[in-house]
Amino acid sequence: MPLTIVKNATCTFCGCVCDDIELHADGIRITETKRACSLGESWFKNHTAEHLYPDALIDGHPATVDDAVEAAADYLLNADMPLVYGMSNITCEAQREAVSLAELVGAVVDSHTSL
Amino acid sequence: MTCTLGEVKNRADFMIYWGGNPAECHPRHFTKYSLTQKGKFTPKGRKDRTMVLVDIRETPSAKAADVFLQVRPGKDFELVTALRAIVKGQRVNEAAVAETGLPLEKLHELVAMMKAARFGIIFFGMGLSMTRGKHMNSAAVLMLAAEMNAFTKFVAMPMRGHGNVTGADVVMRYTTGYPFGVNLCRGYPRFNPGEFSTVDLLVRGDNDACLVLGADPGATMPQPAINHLARIPTITLDPKVTHTSRLSRVHITTAVTGVSAPGTAYRMDEIPLPLRPALKSPYPTDEEVVRRIREAVMRRPAWLPERNAEMVV
Repeated sequence: MPLTIVKNATCTFCGCVCDDIELHADGIRITETKRACSLGESWFKNHTAEHLYPDALIDGHPATVDDAVEAAADYLLNADMPLVYGMSNITCEAQREAVSLAELVGAVVDSHTSL
Repeated sequence: MTCTLGEVKNRADFMIYWGGNPAECHPRHFTKYSLTQKGKFTPKGRKDRTMVLVDIRETPSAKAADVFLQVRPGKDFELVTALRAIVKGQRVNEAAVAETGLPLEKLHELVAMMKAARFGIIFFGMGLSMTRGKHMNSAAVLMLAAEMNAFTKFVAMPMRGHGNVTGADVVMRYTTGYPFGVNLCRGYPRFNPGEFSTVDLLVRGDNDACLVLGADPGATMPQPAINHLARIPTITLDPKVTHTSRLSRVHITTAVTGVSAPGTAYRMDEIPLPLRPALKSPYPTDEEVVRRIREAVMRRPAWLPERNAEMVV
């Protein structure tokens, strides 16, 4: 795999969201993290593009994403008071989708801020 | 009463870190944003700035501080309240101040430094906002910063922990009008921390389903809350199979935010920054999975009958 270099990459490990990181990646893993701190370096190097986990699990058994999405929709729609929680380590675009889904199923939506 | 980290870099000549340990938890905060940077009105960098650390123990951050004030655990609110009184020139009970673990003259010295600053900032961390007093402590610090503006420019900023937790606040604010703990069960947003905040809801056992994204409550929440998550159908979206995934009915593996998923994240001073992923994930992004769940819900009859007519995919 050729080396790809991403300049001014953004680290989302902590609230500093440093946006001056230079990442070197070989397609599978990130090999170098220039200017990142020790936390950022371990965050970037801890995640790879390998297929290490099953795409989805239903009741602990491997399943397709399609089936898992349908099961999730059923559970959320059938609940009287579902909860949508977390949202700290996802993008703003995903957060918007989550709020939209929460509105649709009549859920409580909450983040780490309330802890 | 806050500002951007750019303003801190260019203007702040006095800073208090309260209940946080940036040397270990936000390692580049000092060097990239606040303490050692040379700014327009702080050309000598570290030499132009004074830093005070308030914490319950001497953390590695204390080495970077000019003054370290060790407050007794759980006495932050009392300390802020005493400081607010001294700022206004009111009398304070010396015995009551001694309860905080700090002598009265130290507080007078601190207030004198605060008033002498041209631009002061208080960065407050979870050591303040998540210990005894919780949001009342944060409110007291914000009041202190606000009241300091009678004497000089003063602001306060929370030291946010997780990557895009600030983004969650911002997104919920502009979509629902409230920053967190928003109940949409009636079809319109209601906000009441303590009633609609996650730990309270789960400990009381109010929820009958849960979607967890970008979090691992199974590893961090109080045990009664975790027990309830295991009791109800929980759906987890995460790049790894987490503790929460193991107690969930449904787990979907997703791409890693910023590493293999593109998008936007907010810095702690509410500046949105684009993400530039370096890898291509074999898994879908959180955004895509949540959208697919929403579309799957929309194919079913709505829980509010009148919604069936107005829904547009």
